[in-house]
Amino acid sequence: MKRVAIVGAGQSKYGEFPDKGIKELFFEAFKDMASSVDKGLDTKLIESAYIGNLGSGGFQLGNMSALVSEYVGLTHINTMRIENACASGGYALAAAAMDVLSGTHKIVLAGGVEKMTDVSGVKQKYWLGVSGDTEYERLAGTTFAGLYALIAQRHMHEFGTKREQLSMVAVKNHKNGAQNPKAQFQREITLEQAVKGPVVAHPLNLFDCCSTTDGASAVLVCDAEVAKQFTDTPIYVVGFGTASDYLAIHDRASTVALEGTRRASAKAYEMAGLTPKDIQLAEVHDCFTIAEILAYEDLGFCEKGKGGTFVEEGHSQIDGDMPVNASGGLKSKGHPIGSTGTGQAYEMFNQLRGTVQKPTRQVKGAEVGLVHNVGGSGGTVAVTIMRR
Amino acid sequence: MAIGISGYGVYIPRLRIKRDDYAKAWGSFSAAGVNEKSVMGYDEDVLTSAAKVARRALESVPLASEKVTRFLLASTSAPYVEKLLSGTVLTSVGIPNSVLTSDHTTSTRAGTEAMLAGFEHVQANPSGNALVVAADSPKASMWDSVEHALGAGAAAFVLSSENLVAELEGYASYASEHFGERFRPREDELLHDLSVKKFAESSLMNNTTKAASALMKRTGRKPEEYAHVVIQQPDARVPGSVASRMSFTEAQLASSIVSKSVGDLGAASTPVALASALDAAKIGDRIMVISYGSGAGSDALSFKVVSEKKATVSFQSDLDRKEYIDYVKYLKIRGAIV
Amino acid sequence: MAHVSIPMYWRTIPQRYKLMGQKCKKCGAINFPPKGVCKYCSVSSEFEEIQLSGRGKVHTFVLISAGGAPPEFADQEKSSGSYPVAIVELQEGPKVIGQIADADPKEVKIGMPVTTELRKIYSEEDVIRYGFKFVPEREGK
Repeated sequence: MKRVAIVGAGQSKYGEFPDKGIKELFFEAFKDMASSVDKGLDTKLIESAYIGNLGSGGFQLGNMSALVSEYVGLTHINTMRIENACASGGYALAAAAMDVLSGTHKIVLAGGVEKMTDVSGVKQKYWLGVSGDTEYERLAGTTFAGLYALIAQRHMHEFGTKREQLSMVAVKNHKNGAQNPKAQFQREITLEQAVKGPVVAHPLNLFDCCSTTDGASAVLVCDAEVAKQFTDTPIYVVGFGTASDYLAIHDRASTVALEGTRRASAKAYEMAGLTPKDIQLAEVHDCFTIAEILAYEDLGFCEKGKGGTFVEEGHSQIDGDMPVNASGGLKSKGHPIGSTGTGQAYEMFNQLRGTVQKPTRQVKGAEVGLVHNVGGSGGTVAVTIMRR
Repeated sequence: MAIGISGYGVYIPRLRIKRDDYAKAWGSFSAAGVNEKSVMGYDEDVLTSAAKVARRALESVPLASEKVTRFLLASTSAPYVEKLLSGTVLTSVGIPNSVLTSDHTTSTRAGTEAMLAGFEHVQANPSGNALVVAADSPKASMWDSVEHALGAGAAAFVLSSENLVAELEGYASYASEHFGERFRPREDELLHDLSVKKFAESSLMNNTTKAASALMKRTGRKPEEYAHVVIQQPDARVPGSVASRMSFTEAQLASSIVSKSVGDLGAASTPVALASALDAAKIGDRIMVISYGSGAGSDALSFKVVSEKKATVSFQSDLDRKEYIDYVKYLKIRGAIV
Repeated sequence: MAHVSIPMYWRTIPQRYKLMGQKCKKCGAINFPPKGVCKYCSVSSEFEEIQLSGRGKVHTFVLISAGGAPPEFADQEKSSGSYPVAIVELQEGPKVIGQIADADPKEVKIGMPVTTELRKIYSEEDVIRYGFKFVPEREGK
């Protein structure tokens, strides 16, 4: 299928910015996207916008999409806030693709924005803690670190996954992020540091957990038929899939797999007519190191239970045979919740076009890439396959 | 028709603190005869302990919670001054909503006060079952010596006319006006104790001996007929003072001096001590129970043990399940570091 | 704070105080916590109320330290140290998450037998919210 194209993509810096709110951050990403359109972009052509966002910066629960759209000069268009926790961006991208495929609109913006550092620590933890099951998981005394730790503990029990293997994910992603000028954290860490980090939710420590981040991203999606007016080298969305799962981990059939990832990726592979072997690089949802290990398995890059070995053997390094998170992943790049999914698409757009900001992160000769975006502990998952 | 106790249970929280840890902090430890005491965990309180011990008592009969016809809860340190406390325990344990419940608070005599109210119910309703729970964890300021003895614990009793462990032979009460001993004004979470020692002592002696003497007269019993004598324990020495006034011996107190290991259990003091005596008692043994609450009042109850049946979890086994904490952790858990 | 309103918390008392589950009339499986549609056959909305025993085994667990504790549990962690949270596979079939109380965190293991008892969960608006926590199963209850 080559009916949906991406002709531009932008991202703000990810980090902590007391001087920028959701409007300013979204505008930064929007401008970055506009400047990435090879033949220039008349923004009046944008007919529709899907904006991923969870907390509205703490002040605009209703109608935030109208607010940020008009700020960037998009008024009177179809605009919707998409919210599926941390998968909001990925779902915004899927919504944009569906909009184009349905024929309703031809030029559609998919973006995301999150402002997490404006509010108090207590309120931040409130936001982070209400995308899992609030009634039982939250009131049992867990935030996401605790939930993913429950998964990690069981994974280690069933498959012998090692503490060091979890840390290898963090080390790899920091190494990649150190080469990403837009990443929140641009410094490498050693395996020893990562293994010995202070405990947050045993067995997960500080270096297994992504941080809270401000940031925004924007991707310009269009009907393939009109792509030429923007660029001669568009990237195509050849498949996508979304799937939900029981919100509470205890309701799921498996504690060591994300069924949402399996089903969403199965739909994406089917739509694209591809298999996991055809994927040459991926941006996956490593909110916690164990999440990346699960992603290798549930996306089909390796067998269930072998995710730890996969990273240990180096397959997911940038120069490995299945590079994962060349951007630095959520761990090093940051995780501004509503923006993460479209931020992954921004990275993939550049990787597939050979236009990554710092060439040392460029995966050479990449043609087919996959982005994987998870909401919370797996309640929602969006997978998109893109190709040159 | 005989009525009495058909089942019982205790609960002692697992955290303990030793007198030495107090002495290190303060230079001395003020609770006579107390070697260590029990401490409620951060997520426990009077109501959670009550629910736990109520189940134990029902299991020891055994009796289904649906068969309870009267529920009584006693404590001086419940988490609310106004809120129907029994509601939480009733719902958790599965006692029918149509049962009359009563919350007994405001003095350390509340435990026996609730027991006697329970016995009145069974007397009037011979086919009924009253469930009495006393759970307490009194608090005082860390600066006050009265704080040193304060521990935490609970006991529960099922009262009926059948399947008895111990028969009630008789009871007597004595209430009077005494103020300024140990009290707690409405807005205060912490006990006040004015330390007017002789005055307070005399109130305790007066009320307890009056109740106990009235009971012995009523039943026609003599002090030596009691194998076990259970007396209120603000510390481990008070029972001895009361006992000597009444011509009871130290040997008769031995099976129930729980305070040396758990401290002052407030309204649960005599109930837990009674459970300890029941654990040790043999068929035919008589047990005298004398409670005291400042302000002031005392109840005396006389029992005769009629069966070998014991609680499903003994006082000793709960006592043996322990974890020591130091004084700093004690302060943190009690919320005393503000 | 967790922002669970009073009525919302109160509505879960049958589960939190009494472990009330639902037995699917069609396939017989036990759903706990309750669902609108049976989780197992995905078809039936008709259930029979059933009280669960609260007994089960630890399926997986985590030890929550200060950094991993939601604000309403921050004081508990500060005063009493890191606490275990487990997903427990109940005797009757369903799995449910719950905090483990009355246990040394070092003694928590996958497979450990546990049972439920009433504990304080947290306070909000000066109202104490009670509910079940798991405790290690020992002789006697």
